[in-house]
Amino acid sequence: MSEIFASPYFGVALSVITFWIGVKLQRRLKTPVCNPLIVAIVLTSGVLLIFRIPYESYNEGGEIINMFLAPATACLAVAIYTKIEMLKQYWLPIAVGCTAGSAASMLSVYGLCRLFGLDGSLTVSLLPKSVTTPIAVSIAEPAGGMVPITVVAVIGTGILGSIIAPVLIRIFRVTDPVAAGLAIGASSHAVGTSKAIELGEVEGAMSGLAIGICGIITVLISMAVL
Amino acid sequence: MKIIRQIGIIFLVCWLSEVIERLLPFTFPASVIGMALLLACLLTGVLKIRHIQEKADFLLENMAFFFIPAGVSIINYFDVLKSSAVQLIIICVVSTVVTFAVTAWSVRLTVRCMVLAGSGGTGSGSKAEDARKQGESATGGKEKEGKGIE
Repeated sequence: MSEIFASPYFGVALSVITFWIGVKLQRRLKTPVCNPLIVAIVLTSGVLLIFRIPYESYNEGGEIINMFLAPATACLAVAIYTKIEMLKQYWLPIAVGCTAGSAASMLSVYGLCRLFGLDGSLTVSLLPKSVTTPIAVSIAEPAGGMVPITVVAVIGTGILGSIIAPVLIRIFRVTDPVAAGLAIGASSHAVGTSKAIELGEVEGAMSGLAIGICGIITVLISMAVL
Repeated sequence: MKIIRQIGIIFLVCWLSEVIERLLPFTFPASVIGMALLLACLLTGVLKIRHIQEKADFLLENMAFFFIPAGVSIINYFDVLKSSAVQLIIICVVSTVVTFAVTAWSVRLTVRCMVLAGSGGTGSGSKAEDARKQGESATGGKEKEGKGIE
């Protein structure tokens, strides 16, 4: 019975259907908690657990989807290129902000992990959690992290960031849209950027730039310390 | 054919970046090399944005979809998640707030320094002012209450 699920078509189809449900739900309910990715992960996991389908069978299709992660990351270059004028104009605040933000993220995660006495593997899994998923995974995996923990932490951070960004802007009195956009992008990558785009054009562009630039800086920092 | 060519270009960039990853004497993620390589190609004019626009839009717009399998593999790690869920949530919340605050403040400080330096006449300060004006017009009336503070 289980071999009918071991076809790559099954995994891809199941992922597309659950993601589509997630997109529909988010359009209907308009809340960031209903992130299509989270809905898809919960529904897909639910189907696998309920029908006792082994993860390996699902992953026949999963591997095909995984193949698109690197190309998608590479395409962040297009997002940077289309905003190259802004990057040239504000290169200094962008460079300072992204470096400080990436360092603050990794330091705070490291400090808290030590405080809670979490083991090394879990710490490494969480360290890159503020950068976009493919880059976070490519940092955590070779260093001995648990990839799914990284993915969940990254997405959780993104959703959290997109919910609390407007509140944080008020609490920290961020009136400069450049600062607000970079802060959102540095703390909550692509998921936060969708919120930044709603806040304004400059916020959205800066947040989009921060995804790629914080990614590169976080890779460089982790190369130095790991 | 247009889309096939675009897929070909992007996959070629990804493959080249994997080759470069192997050649490098230190570990550096291939996906980030690919990003740098693609940006270099666009900046030098080797590739034009129209050569990859549709495929890039497709990948960027659907970015979240490609993470589903990686996320679903969490079912293999339920026990780790259960045993330290509270700590994980605290870490996520605290570090997100810290990252946001540090980034926002360091950008604000840098812009202020640029304004101070720019008052001497280098012009970088006026650019920062332009940014603020641009931003204000872009955000429109939404940020009205914030306008008067700075």
